[in-house]
Amino acid sequence: MMDFKLTEEQELIRKNMREFAAKYVDPIAVEIDENSRHPAELFKKLAEGDWLGIPIPIEYGGAGADYLTHTVAVEELSRSCASTGFTVSIHVGIASMLILLFGNEEQKKKYLIPLAKGQNLGAFVLTEPGAGTDVMAATTTAILDGNDYVINGTKTFTSNGPTGGTYLVFAWTDKAAGRKGMSAFVIPRETPGMKAGEHFKKMGLRSSQTSEMVFKDCRVPKENLLGKEGAGLVMAMAGFDHGRVGIAAQSVGILQAALDESIRYSKERVQFGAPIARQQAISWMIANMATDLSAARLLTYHAAWLKDQKQPFSKEASMAKLFAAEAAMRHTIKAVQIQGGYGYIKGAKVERLMRDAKITEIYEGTSEAQRMVISGNVLR
Amino acid sequence: MFFADEVEKRRHAMPTIVACFKWVIDEAYIRRSSSGELDFSSVDYKISEYDRNAIEEAVRLKEIHGGNVITVTVGVPEATKGVKDALSRGSDQAYFIADASFRNLESSQTAAILAEVIRSRIVSYDLIICGEGSSDLYAQQVGARLAEHLEIPCISFVQKLSMEGGRLIAERKVEQYTEITATPLPALVTVLPEINSPRIPGVKDTLTASKKPTVTIKKDELSPIGEARLQTTGISASRMDRTCEKFGTEAAELTRFVESLRKKGAIR
Repeated sequence: MMDFKLTEEQELIRKNMREFAAKYVDPIAVEIDENSRHPAELFKKLAEGDWLGIPIPIEYGGAGADYLTHTVAVEELSRSCASTGFTVSIHVGIASMLILLFGNEEQKKKYLIPLAKGQNLGAFVLTEPGAGTDVMAATTTAILDGNDYVINGTKTFTSNGPTGGTYLVFAWTDKAAGRKGMSAFVIPRETPGMKAGEHFKKMGLRSSQTSEMVFKDCRVPKENLLGKEGAGLVMAMAGFDHGRVGIAAQSVGILQAALDESIRYSKERVQFGAPIARQQAISWMIANMATDLSAARLLTYHAAWLKDQKQPFSKEASMAKLFAAEAAMRHTIKAVQIQGGYGYIKGAKVERLMRDAKITEIYEGTSEAQRMVISGNVLR
Repeated sequence: MFFADEVEKRRHAMPTIVACFKWVIDEAYIRRSSSGELDFSSVDYKISEYDRNAIEEAVRLKEIHGGNVITVTVGVPEATKGVKDALSRGSDQAYFIADASFRNLESSQTAAILAEVIRSRIVSYDLIICGEGSSDLYAQQVGARLAEHLEIPCISFVQKLSMEGGRLIAERKVEQYTEITATPLPALVTVLPEINSPRIPGVKDTLTASKKPTVTIKKDELSPIGEARLQTTGISASRMDRTCEKFGTEAAELTRFVESLRKKGAIR
């Protein structure tokens, strides 16, 4: 027996997020994109509604719901603004989830509770200028000196870098140990020796804040080590599994918005004496869009559901992310095509959707990296 | 004097406020087929718009005066989602009168059912708040009829509400002016959307809603309701016909344009 229904609570939460996004996100979405601005006032409201810690247990400051509920919320939020949806996704899905999964009781009390309550944002600090998909090429080190680790190195493309409050930083504690030589640290903002760079100007996803992170003799006490020394890569991969479900949800939100826009426009726009929706060239684009949206959503919910059932979901998270991201890119291009010149003008929603969609094929593992994970799984 | 006694009794007590709501079709999901017929095949439901204001106002007053808020709805058994929605908006308890035959109740029947439940199960209440009218039918009947059944005062078109010293002060929006009305409690008001801006429930509000007490009442626990006297014999979408008239900028062209609008009856 298969049950494709969300619970009544999940349906209500989706509806409430839709209303929240229409009231607070839609009116500022164009402006925060134009100005690459982080909407702190919006995140305060998100925190008040417990949207920034949905799958975190109540005792750690969250709402105590499941991962699917978080996934649905990220999707609905991304439908209005992919930047905001992503900021929530990485804050919850990677930063907070990793502390929940691998942190000790003290770390959870000190760092997870404020994160889940939305008092500050979490960041995942792994990528380096010379180490993207090839994580092993990282050069940042953490050397034990007395009771402290001393961190040196440069990270880049850190989401929530300029605006974060709690950073999960990955560095070699024993480079010679290879895959068992990387460790993760929880580092609060204002720690001397850690500095976030200027927010990058990006093609899309512009209000999500991204920067370099520079570590210069940054001393971090031993108790800030997350999990065991040497377990960094395992944790990073677990973080990606959770985060990728979020990116899949973000892509589904983008796709839904592209479909909404395409249906609206093609019914209104009259050419050759009839709405363009009556042209097969247009209606088939919309049929393909709706079909891929449905497939992407099912893959995404399935991955989240597996996580909630405590079953392995790494392969499914990669499949959902790969498919949803590529579908979002493919169809936002079509959504712009349907609107023609109007869709190419700044302020048109489809124009922003198309720019925002591109990053979903790149971050938290490129589409190529997802194919490596998936083929590794099925060819095993 | 009876009223004075009532006012005195309620002056310091924490109020019990009842908010009534209807679970209606969300009109955003109604589609129109190419033949002009309404398509209800993929509709979702929601708490009727003004009833959300009623619940919000009840919760707002509770936040000022203490006491408790009870939400009451009459509907089909699938409306459990609506009951959870109402509870997530800050009410403490719900009464859900459910039956499969309650899909198309008329106002007089709904009011009779609500009155019986409030009189027999809730008994002691200070204020009942209803939306001015429902999002689907907007008959504006249930509130007034319910007050009549319960023999309590009814104030309609309320856009501002306060409770002072056991009395209710309501600001009514009437055509060109506003009217301030005061009444002893218990009383019933029907509210307009201007009265407040309903909150959007947070995630925890929704998750804890089903943990709040809900009393479900079945049809056979109530007195028999009379036959419906109103029948909906047809429902169709309103139609808007569009025409196009091209004109130039010269005086003669403008005259011709105005003339054609007059001919079509668009202007007089």
